[in-house]
Amino acid sequence: MAEDKPVTLAAITGAHGVTGEVRLKLFGEGLEALSTHRQFNDGALTLKKLRDDGKGGAIARFAEVPDRTAAEKLRGTALAVPRSALPALGEGEYYHADLLGLAAVTETGEPLGSVIAVENYGASDVLEIERPDGKRFMVPMHTEAVPEWNDERLVVSAAFAEG
Amino acid sequence: MARSVWKGPFVELQLLKKAEEAQDKGARAPIKTWSRRSTILPQFVGLTFNVYNGQKFIPVSVNEDMVGHKLGEFSPTRNFPGHAGDKKGKR
Repeated sequence: MAEDKPVTLAAITGAHGVTGEVRLKLFGEGLEALSTHRQFNDGALTLKKLRDDGKGGAIARFAEVPDRTAAEKLRGTALAVPRSALPALGEGEYYHADLLGLAAVTETGEPLGSVIAVENYGASDVLEIERPDGKRFMVPMHTEAVPEWNDERLVVSAAFAEG
Repeated sequence: MARSVWKGPFVELQLLKKAEEAQDKGARAPIKTWSRRSTILPQFVGLTFNVYNGQKFIPVSVNEDMVGHKLGEFSPTRNFPGHAGDKKGKR
């Protein structure tokens, strides 16, 4: 997997005030994780200030955005950083973004499809896998269902592959 | 009004039977169910249920903290897709 694959952390939803601040919708681990990054979109935007908006989002100020007109033009822009800029993982941890697009195979090497989504509905992480014929099924991300995975493929236990 | 205590928690009998069989055999294959209203019992811990949400089956791996909840609580019927971002998982 390419180490510099862009990972979208937030999106600009509109302008805030008249001085060039923008409202952000957060996708990742939250405000603290976002504030560790300074450059977004290959250096096109440089973060100067970031604060909580009290509604689950954030208010940000970028060096390249001097006024409200410029801020309004950025509406809909996704803020991405390279995968290599994300913090290192601990033992047994994984980024959802790393699993997306991985080829899923059975324990015998039979291709099943590819991972298209990683969800968590309160029980455990769940992978959604799309077969080549377009049909989809879901697999829990635990050792019995997914014995192993690496940068190229994800092994799914046959008992869980029937969906 | 809460359910009367003397009745005990509701669970579909067929599902309970399947879960007990799986526990006895040590089988870890997911149990497919449409019974979203069934309560998660202590004997379900460690099993995986594929719970129908009206469109697809969502795998629910039961742990101790989920006992007393309904299976349907972990298989939402509405989904709000977003970016994976820097979300982390652990197992």
